[in-house]
Amino acid sequence: MALTGLEIFKQLPKKNTGDCGFPTCLAFAMAVAAGKSSLDKCPHITEEAKETLGAAAAPPIKLVKVGAGNTEVELGDETELFRHDKRFFHPTAIAVLIKDTDDVAAKLENFKELEFDRVGLHYRTDMVALTNDSGDSSKFKAAAEAIVAGSKAALILISEDLAAMESAVAAVAGSKPLLYAAESHNYEAMTALAQKYQCPLAVKGEGLAELAELVEKITKLGQKDLVLDSGSRATSQVLADLTQIRRLAVKKRFRPFGYPTIAFTSKEDALEEVVQAGVYLSKYASIIVLKTDKKETLLPLESWRQNLFTDPQKPIQVESKAVAVGEVTPESPVYITTNFSLTYYIVEGEVESSKVPSYILPVNTDGTSVLTAWAAGKLAGESIAKALKENDMESKVNHKTLILPGYVAVLSGSTEEATGWNVKVGPREASGITKFAKENYA
Amino acid sequence: MAFNAVKDKYRSKVGEVVLGATKEQGGTRDYTITIGGEAALPFLHFEGEIPNRPVVAMEIWDVAPTDWNDCFKPFYADVWNDPVAWAKKCVDEYGAELIVLHLKGADPDVKDATPEECAKVVKDVLAAVGCPLVVTGCGKPEKDNLVLPLVAEAAAGENLLLGVAEQENYKSLTAACMVHKHNIIAQSPIDINICKQLNILITEMNLPANRIVIDPTIAALGYGVEYGYSIMERARNGALQGDTMLGMPMIGNVGYEVWRTKEANASSDDFPGWGEQENRGILWEATTAMALLQAGMNVVVMRHPKASNLIKQNIEELMVKTSFDE
Amino acid sequence: MDKISVRFLPDNLIANVEHGTSLLLAAASVGLELKSNCGGDGTCGRCLVKVQEGRPNVKSEGSISLKAKQSGLVLACQAAAVENLVVDIPQESRLDEHQVLLEEKDILVEKDDFLAAGYSLNPLCRKIKLTLSEPSLTENISDFSRLQSAIRNEIDCHDVRIGLSMLKGLAEVLRTGDWRVTVTVAQLNGCAEIINVESGHTDKPAYGLAVDIGTTTVAAYLLDLESGVTLCQKGTYNKQSTYGDDVITRMIHASVPKGLRELHTAIILTINQLIVELLSQSDISSDDIHLAMVAGNTTMTHLFLELTPRYIRLEPYIPLASFVPLVKAEELGLKINPAAQVACFPSVASYVGGDIVSGALITNMAKREEITLLIDIGTNGEMVLGNEDWLISVSCSAGPAFEGGGITFGMRAMKGAIEHVSIDPETFEVEVTTIGNVKATGICGSGLIDCLAKFHRAGIIDRAGKLQADINTSRMRQGDDGWEFVLVWSDEADSADIVVTENDIKNLMRAKGAVYAGIRSMLKAVQLEEEMIDKVLIAGGFGNYINIRDAVAIGLFPDLPPEKYTFIGNSSVKGARLALLSQEAYSEAQELGKKITYLELSNGNDFMDEFVSALFLPHTDMSLFPSLAANND
Repeated sequence: MALTGLEIFKQLPKKNTGDCGFPTCLAFAMAVAAGKSSLDKCPHITEEAKETLGAAAAPPIKLVKVGAGNTEVELGDETELFRHDKRFFHPTAIAVLIKDTDDVAAKLENFKELEFDRVGLHYRTDMVALTNDSGDSSKFKAAAEAIVAGSKAALILISEDLAAMESAVAAVAGSKPLLYAAESHNYEAMTALAQKYQCPLAVKGEGLAELAELVEKITKLGQKDLVLDSGSRATSQVLADLTQIRRLAVKKRFRPFGYPTIAFTSKEDALEEVVQAGVYLSKYASIIVLKTDKKETLLPLESWRQNLFTDPQKPIQVESKAVAVGEVTPESPVYITTNFSLTYYIVEGEVESSKVPSYILPVNTDGTSVLTAWAAGKLAGESIAKALKENDMESKVNHKTLILPGYVAVLSGSTEEATGWNVKVGPREASGITKFAKENYA
Repeated sequence: MAFNAVKDKYRSKVGEVVLGATKEQGGTRDYTITIGGEAALPFLHFEGEIPNRPVVAMEIWDVAPTDWNDCFKPFYADVWNDPVAWAKKCVDEYGAELIVLHLKGADPDVKDATPEECAKVVKDVLAAVGCPLVVTGCGKPEKDNLVLPLVAEAAAGENLLLGVAEQENYKSLTAACMVHKHNIIAQSPIDINICKQLNILITEMNLPANRIVIDPTIAALGYGVEYGYSIMERARNGALQGDTMLGMPMIGNVGYEVWRTKEANASSDDFPGWGEQENRGILWEATTAMALLQAGMNVVVMRHPKASNLIKQNIEELMVKTSFDE
Repeated sequence: MDKISVRFLPDNLIANVEHGTSLLLAAASVGLELKSNCGGDGTCGRCLVKVQEGRPNVKSEGSISLKAKQSGLVLACQAAAVENLVVDIPQESRLDEHQVLLEEKDILVEKDDFLAAGYSLNPLCRKIKLTLSEPSLTENISDFSRLQSAIRNEIDCHDVRIGLSMLKGLAEVLRTGDWRVTVTVAQLNGCAEIINVESGHTDKPAYGLAVDIGTTTVAAYLLDLESGVTLCQKGTYNKQSTYGDDVITRMIHASVPKGLRELHTAIILTINQLIVELLSQSDISSDDIHLAMVAGNTTMTHLFLELTPRYIRLEPYIPLASFVPLVKAEELGLKINPAAQVACFPSVASYVGGDIVSGALITNMAKREEITLLIDIGTNGEMVLGNEDWLISVSCSAGPAFEGGGITFGMRAMKGAIEHVSIDPETFEVEVTTIGNVKATGICGSGLIDCLAKFHRAGIIDRAGKLQADINTSRMRQGDDGWEFVLVWSDEADSADIVVTENDIKNLMRAKGAVYAGIRSMLKAVQLEEEMIDKVLIAGGFGNYINIRDAVAIGLFPDLPPEKYTFIGNSSVKGARLALLSQEAYSEAQELGKKITYLELSNGNDFMDEFVSALFLPHTDMSLFPSLAANND
C-alpha cells in the first residue's frame, strides 16, 4: 500500500528549509504521499531514505505506451481501486476492430468520424485493432500500413501467424503497435518479435494462473512493456478477472499483474456490445476492443469514460447556466447563487416551492458556497457580470434587477457598478426564499 | 510468484427490503421482490453471496407526458392516457417485474389531481397488474404530504415502496409508512452524509431500516453520473464494512434523468456528429444504468423498453458465477 | 509608610496599596473586579478570595458560608492588607463582564507560565549598567565603539547597533554621567539594538508590552521585564470594527483608496488607547516601554504594519510576509518609546497567524512527545495538532456564532448573557442562568452550546437541527423568519422575547460543524485517530465556561474524556508575554512559524465532506461519539 504522509515525513531531514518548494517537511511529505510531488525535489534527503521510500512509492501498475507521436496512448499507472480514493489517471483506450478482409479505406474513412464534441470537450476513439482474417501476410501488412498512414489511431496487430505479424510489424514498427498476443504456445517467438521491433506486447493466458506464469516467463526474457488479457470473454468472468488483476497489483503488489489490461467484447449486437464494454470500462480495463464503429454507440461509451476519469476531488458543480424554474416570463425574477451543487440545489428547491417562476443564475465560483466564494473574491461584481452576459440575461428578461443572496449584501454596490443591474438583496438563508418571493413577486 | 485470487470478506452485508405483499401476506400481489442482501461489491460473486439480482423497474405516469421524445410514441402513445393500460402494457409486453407509478398529475401546475384521485389511480393500477408497485409523489412537498398518506392508507397491506422522503420533509411520509406498513424512499441530494443523516432521522421515528430504500439522486451520463457513482461506491463499501445506516438497497430514476438530456433527445439532423438519435438515447439510458449497477444500485427505473431489455440482459450475464467462486 | 504589595493569582498582577486597604479595592486597583453586590459591606458573601501567603487583617467574617470558610476563603472586602500578600481569586468570585477579554481560567499555565513551560527568565530587552573607561590620547576609539565594546562584554552578541537619533545625543550622555551609563538593549534576531542610553546608573527596569490583536478584540499586558511580573492588563474592542466585522470585509476595505491607511490607523489608535490606560494604572511613562511584542492573525499583522492583505484573500491565498522585520515604534506611531522595537509573531499561512503561533508557544506542544490539539475559537476556528516531531494547522470559517455573532439574540459573554439552559422534556419549560444573575438580555457562546444540546435532548430539534413545529408548547411559534423557540418571555427578560430561530440553529450547526470538520481534516491528513490525542487545549473567549459534556454532545469537540480538556483563555497574549520574557521562547516562536504545516482546507472535497457529515447532532458517524451512544442505551 502507499505510504502515508507521516511515514514519509519520518524519513525526511525535518529541517524545514523550503528548498522543495513546500513550506515544511510535513507539507512536502503529504504532497509526496498524495502523488503531488516527488522525493527528488528534496535536495537533503539521504540516499538510504530515498531507497526505502522509493521502493514503496514505485507505481503498482506500469505505465505502458502504445503508438508514437500524436497516436501515442498511455495505459496503466493506476494506483486506486475506487476513483473516490484519489482518482483514475489514464482513461481507457477505445479500439475499433478492422479486419484485413474489410474495405480498410472505407473503414478508416468512417473511423475518422469517431471523434466527438460535447459540453466543450473533445472525445477521441484512440485505437484500431487489426485482425488477420485473410491469412495473407501481405494483406495484413498493407492494411497495417494503411491504418498508420490514414488515421490518428494507435494500432493493435492481432495475428496468430508469426510471419504475417513480422511482416506487418516490420513495416510499422516506428508507430509502436501493440502486438497481440503472446500465448503459451508462441510466447518465445512473439516476445522475440516485440523485442526486435521494440514494441509493447499483449500476453494472453487461459485464466489468471496461466497468465501470471506467462508474464513471469516473458519478463525473464527481458520484455518490459506488457498488456494483459485473461483470455476470458464472458461478461461476469471478465469483470472478475479485471478486478482480480487490479486488486493483486495495487493491494498485494503482485508484480506479474502490474501491467495494463485489454478486454474484448463478445457481443454481436452493437448496443449490447456497448453495455458490455461499459462494464469493463467501469472496472479497470485499460483497452477495450469493440466491433461497432457507429457514432451513436461510441459517444455514450466515451462519455462514460470521460466522466469516470474526471478528478473526484473537484467539488460537485453545476453548469454556470441560467436555469428557468417554472413557466418563466420576461418579468420573472433573477436569483444569483453559486455553482456549488449543494448550494444550487437548495436554492432551486426553495425557488420551486415559492411557486414564483424565476431564473436562477449560478455564477461560476469553482464550486464554492456563497460565503466562501465571497471571501475568496470569486463571487463578486465581475463574476456576476460575466454570468449575466454569458447567459444573455438581458434578452431573457425585460427588467434589470437581480437578487443577491442576503449574506453578500455587501456586494450590492460593486455589483451594480460592474453589471449595470439593480440589486435587490434577498434572504440570507435559502429557506427565506418563499417568503421573499411572496412579498416581492406574488 | 504464484497467483492466488484475493477475496475480500466483509463484516456485513446490504440490508434486504421486500417489496409487495401476496394474498397470504395481506396484499394482493402475485409475487414479492426482494432487493439488497448482497455480501459483495456489485457482481463480484467471489467476495460473497449475491442472493437477489438487481431489478429493472419501468416508469409510468398518471398523466400523459407531453414532453417525451417522439421515439416513445410507438411504445406508449396508445396507453399513456390511461395509467392502468400503461402499467399492463409494461408488464405484459415489456416484461416489467416492477412498476414505478409517478403521480405527476398531483402537481398543482400539471393537473392538481386531488389526493383521492391519486389514491384511486394507485388502487386501479394495483388491481390491473400483479407486480409490486413503487409510487412517487409529484415532488412538491406540501402536495405530496396530502397525497402520499392517503395513497398509503388506500393501499394498506400492499407493502408499496413510497417516495420520496427528504431531509427537510420526511416526517409525514415516514409516519404514513409506519401506520400502513409500506417501505419508504429516502432521497438525498448526491451527498453520502445527508443520505446517512436522513436514514438516521427516519429510523429514529421507528421505521425499521429494512423498510428504507436509498435514492442517492443520480444524474444522467454526461451530467454528473460519476458523482452518484462514487457516492454509491462509498455507501456500498460502508455498508459492507458494517455501517447499517448506509446499508439499505438503492434505487435510481435512470429513465427520467436520461431523457431530459440533450444527448438522448437531439435529432440526428441537428447533431450529425452524434449519430442516430433513438439508439443514442437508448444507449445513453442503458450506459447510465450499467454504470450505476456497477456502483451497487439495486433498482434501476427505466423508460425505454429497449434500454430496459439491454440492462436486463446485462444483469443476467453479470449474475453468472465465475471461476473464483466457491 | 511603605506601600504593601499584593500579588493576585492566577493573573500574577501586583497591586501596591496603602496599609489597611481592603483586598477588594486592591484587586480593583489593578483592574481585577470581584463580584460585590453589596458594595463591600460584607453582606453578599460573593467576593471570596484565598490568601496564599501572608496574613491579612480580617475585620469580620461577614456573611460567608461554612463551606467557603472551611475551604480557607475570606471575603475580600473584609480583609485588609497589612503585610505583603499573595492572594488567589477563584473564578467564581470574578465579575464576569471583565473577563470578556482577559479570561484567566487557565490551568495549564498557572503562576509563572514561562517557568511552567520550561523557559527561564531571560528577557528580550534589559537595562545594563556600564562604567566605561575614559578616553585618552592613547585610548582614542570613538564614543560609540567604546560603548559597543562595553556592551559586548555584557551580552552574548557581537552585532550592537544604534539609531541615528540616539547616536546624536550619545557624546553628551556619556560625559554627563562621567562615563557611567545605563543602556537599554533589545536583543532580537541575532542583533542587539540600543534603545536608550541614560546618564548614570538607574534602577528602573525595562518594560515591555505584550499585545494580542484579535479581529474583534485587542488585549495588552504591561510587563516588568526584569522581574517578569505583569503590572496590569487591559482589553478593548478593535476600532477597525467600523470597517467591517470580519477579516474578509477588512481586507476588502484595505483595497479601496485610503482603506489600508484607515485600518492601520484604527488599530494603532486602539493599541495607543490601551497603552494610555495601562500607564494610568502604573507609575511609568510611555518612554519606559522599550519593546512591544505583537501577536495577531495574519491579516491583523498585515494591517498593523500597513502591509496590503489583498492577496491573502484571493486564491491561492498568499500573504505578503509571514516573517516580518522588526520596526521602530515611531515608524508605526505607537505611543511608547519612539526607539522601542516592535516585533510581531510570525504567521504560518494566510489564515493561521501569529496568534496561533503564540498559542502553540505557550502550550509548549512542540516540546512534548504527547499529541496536543489546540483549538482557538474566535471569529474563525483555528487549530493546531501535533507534538515535538510535527505540527499541523488549519483554519475553518466557523463564523462568529460562538461569540454571539449572526445569532438573533447572540451576545458576548457579559452580564445578562444566558450561559446555561435547562429544559423540561415534558412541558418544554425553560430555566436559564445568566452571567451576573440578572435578567437575560441575550445568549453567549456557552449558552448557545447548551441550547443545541438541550433542544435536541428535549426533542425541540431533530438531529439535523430542524425545529419540530409539532411539539406542544406555545414557545414554538412562527416568527418573521420561520419557526422559532422562545427561550425567555419578555416579562422575565431585559428585552423582547428571547428566541432561538431556525436560522440561528443553522448558523450554530455550521459553526460547530466547521470546527469539528477542521479537526477531522487534520487527523485525516496525518492519519491519526481521535483517541490518539493526549490533550486538548481550548483557547478563545466564547464564555466563562464550556460545558464539555454539552460541547461533545453537539459534536463541537471530539468525544474524549473530560480530563483531556483544558481551558487556557487568551493564549495569544500569553504567548506574547512569554516571548518578551524569554529569549528561548522568542526563538522558539520563530521556529514554530517555520515548523507548523498549514493544511489548506479549500483543496479537494475532504473538508466539505467532513463538514456536511458534521452538520448533524452530534455527527453523521455516530461511531465517532461512543460515549453518547453509551448514554443512550
